[in-house]
Amino acid sequence: MISQLVLALVALPLLSALLIQLLSGTMGRRVARISVIGGTISFLVALVLLIALLSGEDVSRIAVSGPWGSLLFDPLSILMGLLITGISLLVRIYSVRYMAEESGYGRYFLLLDLMTAALLVMVAAGDLITLLIAWHLIGVLLYFLLGHDTRSRSAYRYGFWTFITYRFGDLPLLLAAVALYQAFGTWSLPGIFDALAANPDATSFFGMRVAELVAALIALSAFARSAQFLLHTWLPYTMDGPTPVSALMHAGIVNAGGFLINRFAPVFAYTEYTLHWVFIVGLCTAVIGSVLMLSQHDIKKSLGYSTMGQMGFMIMECGVGAFSLAIFHLIAHGLFKGTLFLSAGGIIGQARRDDGVPKDDLYTFVVERRPARNRQPWLLMAAITLAVPVVVLLLSHLAVAPNLFQKQGAIVLLFFGWVTGAQLLFATYNMRSQNPWRLVALIVFSFTVVVIGYTLISHAFDVFLYPDPEFGDLLYKAGAIDFTWFVILVILATAVIVLGWLRAYYLDRNRRGQWSAPGPWWRNFYALVWREFHVIEIYSALTRRLLAASARINVWLRWG
Amino acid sequence: MQAIGFILVGLFLPLFPLSILFNTVLRRVDHALLRSALLLTWPQIGVLALSLFADEPPTWLLIWALATSVLYAFRLLAMREVGRWTGFLATSAWAALWLPASAGVDPVQLVLYAAAFSIPLIILTLLARTLEVRFGAAYVGLYGGLAIGTPRLAGVTVITVLAATATPLAPSFFAMLNALAVATPISAVMLAAAWLMWSWAAIRLIQGLIVGAPQPGPSQDLNTAATWGYSIGLVGLVLAGLILMGNNL
Repeated sequence: MISQLVLALVALPLLSALLIQLLSGTMGRRVARISVIGGTISFLVALVLLIALLSGEDVSRIAVSGPWGSLLFDPLSILMGLLITGISLLVRIYSVRYMAEESGYGRYFLLLDLMTAALLVMVAAGDLITLLIAWHLIGVLLYFLLGHDTRSRSAYRYGFWTFITYRFGDLPLLLAAVALYQAFGTWSLPGIFDALAANPDATSFFGMRVAELVAALIALSAFARSAQFLLHTWLPYTMDGPTPVSALMHAGIVNAGGFLINRFAPVFAYTEYTLHWVFIVGLCTAVIGSVLMLSQHDIKKSLGYSTMGQMGFMIMECGVGAFSLAIFHLIAHGLFKGTLFLSAGGIIGQARRDDGVPKDDLYTFVVERRPARNRQPWLLMAAITLAVPVVVLLLSHLAVAPNLFQKQGAIVLLFFGWVTGAQLLFATYNMRSQNPWRLVALIVFSFTVVVIGYTLISHAFDVFLYPDPEFGDLLYKAGAIDFTWFVILVILATAVIVLGWLRAYYLDRNRRGQWSAPGPWWRNFYALVWREFHVIEIYSALTRRLLAASARINVWLRWG
Repeated sequence: MQAIGFILVGLFLPLFPLSILFNTVLRRVDHALLRSALLLTWPQIGVLALSLFADEPPTWLLIWALATSVLYAFRLLAMREVGRWTGFLATSAWAALWLPASAGVDPVQLVLYAAAFSIPLIILTLLARTLEVRFGAAYVGLYGGLAIGTPRLAGVTVITVLAATATPLAPSFFAMLNALAVATPISAVMLAAAWLMWSWAAIRLIQGLIVGAPQPGPSQDLNTAATWGYSIGLVGLVLAGLILMGNNL
C-alpha cells in the first residue's frame, strides 16, 4: 500500500501534465482545473504518507525496475514531499487567475506539473541516477518556466543565468555519483550509505578518502542550487518570470541545496574538513546576502538577496552539523517567502489606496528614523540587552538537549540567536515610546515565544529526521573544530560584536541631532556593495571573452 | 598496422584534425536526407573499424579524443548556422565515444551510444531544412520569435536540441552516464566540461530561434501529421533509450 502511494505521489503530477498536453486543445483554459485537482490529490497523498510514517511505518526503498528508478519512503523524502506538494498546490491555485490573461496558459500548467514531478522525484530518489535525472531536469524546466513570456528577451537572458549556474552545479553531483559508483559498485543510495558506514576510510582517486571527496563535490553542487556567494547571481535577477514561478523558486526550488546535503548526511558524517568550509561559505553568503539586500533600491532584487542571505544561513547550519535545523529553516523560509511573493501584488494594490501603516512608535522609529528623546539608563539597558537573550536561549535549549555544550554547532547557533536577540533589544533603546518598559517587556516576551517555538520544533525535526542520537552526534562532531580554537573564535567574535555595539552607542550619543557626511572609505564601500561587488560585470565580461574566443577559433578553423 | 587502424578510427570517431574531413563533407552535402545518412553511418563505421582494426587505445589517444570533444564543444558556443552546429556537436559527441571504447565496453553498446547521438541530430537536420524552406536560412538570431509564430516547429526544435545535448531522459544522457561510469578523474572532468558547453550552446540556439517577436506576415507552422511524426519519433527515441541503454548502467 505504501509503495503504491509513493509511486502515486510522483506519478500524479506526471499524469496531470500528460492530460493537460492532450486536452488543452479541447478544454482551453479549463485545463488548469486538471492541474489543481491533481495537485490537491498529490498533497493529500503526501499527508497520508506522513501520517503513516509518524504512525510507525517502516522506512523502505521502492524499486521500480533495473538499476535505477527507485524511490525512498523515509522521513526526509516525505517531509519534503509534503512541502513541495503544498507550495505547488498554492502556486497552482494562485496561477489560475493570475495567469488567466497570459498566452501559453496550458503550457504554463504543463511545465508547473512537470516541475512538481521533478522536485518530488528529486526528494524521493533512492538511487544516484534517478537523483541525477531529476536534478538535471529541474534546471531545464525552471529555465522554460522563467521564460514563459517568449517575447521577453530579458526573461530568457536571466533564465539563462539560472540555467547555466544550475548546469554548473549538476557537474559536481555527476562526478560525485561516478566516484561513489566506482568506489562501491552500486547506484543505490541506501547501498552506498551502508557500504560507507562499514568502511568510512575507503579511498578513491589519488588516494583521497571517498567521503571527503564526495562530500566536497556534493557541497559544491548544493552551493550552485542554493545561490551561495559567487554562484548567486541568478537569484536576484530572475524576477522577470511570472510571480508564481518566483514564489515556487524562492519557496521551494532554491532549497534544493539544503535538501541535498541532508540526503547525503551519511557521507558528511564521515568527513573531517568539508563541513568547515561549508560553514565558511554559508557564513559569507549570509553576511554578503544581507548586506546586499540592505543596499539595493530595487525591491525585487532586495527580496532576491534576502533569500540568498537565508540560504547562506541554512548552509551554515549544515556546516555546524545541525542538519535537521537546516530542513526546519528551509521549510519555515519557504512558507514565509512564498507568502511574501504571492501576497505582494495584493498588498501593492491595497497600499495604493491606503498605506495602512499606523503612525505608532515602531513607524516613527523605523520609517521616520526619529529616535527617542528620553532614554533609560544606558548601563541598565545594556545589561538587559546582553543578558536576557542568553538566559532565554540557554534555558529553552537545555530543556530539550541537556548535552548542549558538547555540541559546538549548537553553541554557534545559540551565539547567532544571542546576537539577533541582543540586536533587537538594542534597537528598542532608541525607540520613542510612552511606556518603554512595556515595550521592552513585550519584545522580551515575543523573543521568548519565538525561541521556545523554534527550539521545540527544531528538536521535533531532529527526532523525526535523525532518530538515532549517535548519528546526530557524528554530524555535530564532523562540523566541530579543535576546542581551544573554538573558544578563541567565540571570544573574538563576541568581543568584536560587543565593541561594535559600544561604538555605535557612543557615535550615536555624541552626534545626536547632527548629521555628518560619510567619509570616502564608507562611500567607496557603499558603492562597491551597491554595485554588488562587480560580480555580474566580471561574469559578463568573462562570458563575452569566451564567446569571442570561440568565434575566433571558428574563423581560424573555418574549413571544418 | 595498429597506427593505420587508429587513424582510420580517428576519421570516423573524429579526432582533430582528422575531424575536418567529416565537417567538410557534411558542409558540402546539401540534401537533408544525404546529410541524415551521413550522420547515421559515419560513427558506425568508426565503431566497426575500432572493433576490426584497433586494439585498446593508449591513454594519450584518449586524452586527444576528449580534447577534440572539448574543442568542438567550445566551438559550438559561437556557431549560429544550424547545419554546422549539428556537425560540431556530432564531432564533439562521437569523439567522446573513445572513452567507453577504451574501457572495453561491448561493441553493440557502442553502436547504440553512437546512434543515441546521431538520431536527434538527424531530426535536427530535417528541422533545419524546414527552417531553410520557411525562412530562407537556418540561422540563429536571424529571425527568432518561433514560439509565437510557429509554436509546433518551436516545440519540436526545443525538444530535439535538448535530446541532442544529452538531457534526461534522452538516450544520449544514458550514453554519457555510461561513459562517465568508466572514466578516470581527468577524463571525467573533460567530458563533464564538454557536456556543460553543449548545454550552454543548446540554450543559445534555442534562445536565438524561439524568443522574441514573430516575423511579420504569415508563417507556416508544421502541419499536424508532421508534428505527430516528430513527436512519435522523439518519444520512441526516449523509450528505446530507456529499454536498450537505461538498464545497462
